[in-house]
Amino acid sequence: MSHEAALHNHEGHESHGHDDHGHHEHHDTFLTKYVFSQDHKMIAKQFLITGMVWAVLGGLMSVLFRLQLGYPDSSFPWLESLLGKWAKGGQITPAAYYALVTTHGTVLVFFVLTAGLSGTFANFLIPLQIGARDMASPFMNMLSYWFFFTASMVMLSSLFVETGPFSGGWTAYPPLSALHDASPGSKTGMDLWLISMALFVVSSLLGGLNYIATILNMRTKGMTMTRLPLTIWALFFTAVLGVLSFPVLLSGLILLIFDRNFGTSFYLSDIFVNGVGALSNEGGSAILYQHLFWFLGHPEVYIILLPALGMVSEIISVNSRKPIFGYMAMLGSLFSIAILAFLVWAHHMFVTGLNPFLGSVFVLLTLLIAIPSGIKVFNWLTTLWRGNIRFTPGMLFAIGFVSLFISGGLTGIWLGNAALDIYLHDSYFVVAHFHIVMGVASMFGMFAGVYHWYPKMYGRYLNNSLGYLHFWITFAGAYLIFWPMHYQGLAGMPRRYFDFSIWESFKQFADLNRFISTVAMIVFATQLLFLINFFYSIFKGRKVTVLNPWEANTLEWTTPIRPGHGNWPGEIPEVHRWPYDYGKDGHDFIPQNTPVGEDETGTH
Amino acid sequence: MSHSHTDQEAHNAEAMAEIKKVTIILSIFTIVELILGFWMISLTSEGLILAIKGTIVILMMAKAFYIVAYFMHLKHEVKNLIMTIVVPLSLFVWFIGAFLWDGSSFRNLRNKYNPYFKEQATIKVEKKEHGAAKHEATDAKHEVAPAAKHETIGTSHETAKPEVEPYY
Amino acid sequence: MSTTTTASPNEAKLWEGGKSPFNSEYGKVMMWYFLMSDAFTFGAFLISYGTVRFSTNGWPNSNEVFKSFPFAPEGVNAPLVFVSIMTFILIISSVTMVLAVHAGKNMDKQGVVRNMILTIIGGIAFLSCQAWEWNHLFHEGAWWGANPFLNADGTASTTNFTNFFFTITGFHGFHVFSGVVINIIMLIMTLLDKFEQRGHYLMIEKAGLYWHFVDLVWVFVFTIFYLL
Repeated sequence: MSHEAALHNHEGHESHGHDDHGHHEHHDTFLTKYVFSQDHKMIAKQFLITGMVWAVLGGLMSVLFRLQLGYPDSSFPWLESLLGKWAKGGQITPAAYYALVTTHGTVLVFFVLTAGLSGTFANFLIPLQIGARDMASPFMNMLSYWFFFTASMVMLSSLFVETGPFSGGWTAYPPLSALHDASPGSKTGMDLWLISMALFVVSSLLGGLNYIATILNMRTKGMTMTRLPLTIWALFFTAVLGVLSFPVLLSGLILLIFDRNFGTSFYLSDIFVNGVGALSNEGGSAILYQHLFWFLGHPEVYIILLPALGMVSEIISVNSRKPIFGYMAMLGSLFSIAILAFLVWAHHMFVTGLNPFLGSVFVLLTLLIAIPSGIKVFNWLTTLWRGNIRFTPGMLFAIGFVSLFISGGLTGIWLGNAALDIYLHDSYFVVAHFHIVMGVASMFGMFAGVYHWYPKMYGRYLNNSLGYLHFWITFAGAYLIFWPMHYQGLAGMPRRYFDFSIWESFKQFADLNRFISTVAMIVFATQLLFLINFFYSIFKGRKVTVLNPWEANTLEWTTPIRPGHGNWPGEIPEVHRWPYDYGKDGHDFIPQNTPVGEDETGTH
Repeated sequence: MSHSHTDQEAHNAEAMAEIKKVTIILSIFTIVELILGFWMISLTSEGLILAIKGTIVILMMAKAFYIVAYFMHLKHEVKNLIMTIVVPLSLFVWFIGAFLWDGSSFRNLRNKYNPYFKEQATIKVEKKEHGAAKHEATDAKHEVAPAAKHETIGTSHETAKPEVEPYY
Repeated sequence: MSTTTTASPNEAKLWEGGKSPFNSEYGKVMMWYFLMSDAFTFGAFLISYGTVRFSTNGWPNSNEVFKSFPFAPEGVNAPLVFVSIMTFILIISSVTMVLAVHAGKNMDKQGVVRNMILTIIGGIAFLSCQAWEWNHLFHEGAWWGANPFLNADGTASTTNFTNFFFTITGFHGFHVFSGVVINIIMLIMTLLDKFEQRGHYLMIEKAGLYWHFVDLVWVFVFTIFYLL
């Protein structure tokens, strides 16, 4: 009995690929081409654009609560017209503030930086860069998007329920999340939050399984694992992290659902609710939820970061016209980051009553992350070193990423120490740390990817001048917003407070807070500029006229300018070398599908 | 993958023998587990019980191994596939270790700093009768609001915590 | 990963691209990784159970809780008997599933049909046993949020014993149920000659993986709830 028959099922696509050159396929209706598409490139664009919508909403939320933090005494009548009872008299209410902070966190972490980032680029790049016609299962891929879309809609609807969206922080710790009476947001808002997250877990599972199976099983001839571009390796580990950690969150959430609705007390014990009285729940442990949450939560950080690491490696190498420095070291560090991601979760819990001796083990494991991260940083810098650098907007964002990764990573070493974390925990220092290293850095990775692969996505270029403007304002803005927060945090300013003006010790920061808020608004406006550039260029951007505009080695640039479903009109190219042959033997670049020459020096 | 006829038959016989063998092994392990379980009921020595429980866990892991290796056929797969399954599973070591460590630490902390928690573990209560009273509590659970629920359940727990003042 | 460097020349070839490094089609690879993922779901449940049990002073004795038997007189003391029957049902249905997969590899339609039917019967029998046990426990006053049993040392028990019992066995029962549904679909597809037309019974193999996984989880659930 042979598996071969099944393996080669996919060649059904081949005949499909022959008759279309990217314009339109005869049988495709609007519905099958743009809505329920099974083409990985279209699904990638769907993820990207849905992610962008969420990024705008999440960013707008941050502008609203920064308005409160920067101008706690002013009132803005337009806020009342926008938010109604949530901004009575033109000032955001505390309940609305917490709802905004919570939704901002949830949306940006899960919908923008997980679905929007790895959803987009895993879908777009995996088949193109490994030389496959499509994902292993295009149908599951489509389902993955539509589960994400449904999760989005449920989350969106929670913004409009009467009691408001969930407002207990994006981590949804019980008892705030487990008791309906704990806060207004803990009622319907929390139910919708749970449904949305459960759908999201399904989406990420469907996607992740597909990415793994595709990368392992569907590489083109000659594409060994060590000839894969680093983007693919990064996306591979991202998918592994998602497949192994999201189910743990799902278990945690199922227990939470039982606590909320069926009278159990997994997470509840000895609780007195004002206006309700003492609860009968006994014997549960709220710390258990935190463990379960962070068992996902920490790998989640790397799910967000790894795709950016991979894309940045690729973009830096292409635009420095040099092979990536230390390919195997890059690979090894990705692997060890992926493993360490599962071993360090409790460093988020040093002050929750975690056993201090257990905590010290987590300190040790956490600090180990500095090693692979350091390796990566040095390898990027040595790749840039004496390179013939082309400062495209994508490259600028990649370099910006490296800068932010260093700045944010260094503060991670502080926070990884339990002794320091006891002081810094839940302060603005933490806010600054994770926004720089996870939030902004990954956004930079995403921007780098969008600028770099936009010509492949739409067959047109983004406007360069707007790109430079976008980069410099965002880059400067990111530091201006988050750098001062380190000082605030060191001075003891706690996060999640509604109004600092009533605290004698934090009054000194009134001007600084206003400054941060102002910059935040400018940066947000700049992102709108990017959106205009993005959508304008889809229709009116400068047309791509050459197959390989960046003169890169990877396989996606061997496809037609606007590839159809099936990617290559003819045979799938065969691979003869690794993707980083830049500046070799007097050639500026040698694409992966070029056969090894006779007198070529050592090949990879 | 094409076998000649006799090859195929030999292969079949081999596979059937293997299935038979694994079925017998699984049954024996389960029976041993059950015997140990019955034996444990009559025992009072803490150390011996712990040793038996350890043996049962080892038998459980052995059963898991036989199911995965032979029934799920993993042992006959390519080594690469085996590695990609087994290596990630080793994450469970720290997953289990850290969780249980922190669980028992939480108990110790509460026993130390929460006298009510500790005292509760020393108060013996009457064994409740099987009957309708508990049903009421069960059914009431679903309909009533938390406050009312507290009262319903409270009656059955009254004996459990007589006049211990809450410390929190 | 690391295997690429150590593999024998023959195995190293598997990674060269253009074919599966595992010699199997993507569906089976996906099924394996899905089961890995599901193992983490169950793992998280069971580890949570362990964590809560470790952080609680007393715990009910399973031999006093699970001691009844269908049709036996009230008050019968037969610990472990009923659950051992359930365990054997699941093991036997796993064996018939292996035989079905084996028959599929030999393109033996009759064998597949016969063993799939036996497997489905086993699954339904297991679910019936579980339904009886749940019903019995419910009538003793046990449910989510209600625990009529005392700790082994006679002190009051928290509700977490029953909470976890019903949640985890319920989640496992849900898996058994979906496994039975999948097996029924596979049986119908076999009877309609779908696999004969395809020339392979790979779908049966994938359904088999899922079914064995359900059995595997029961090995853990059984040991942890009834024996430890």
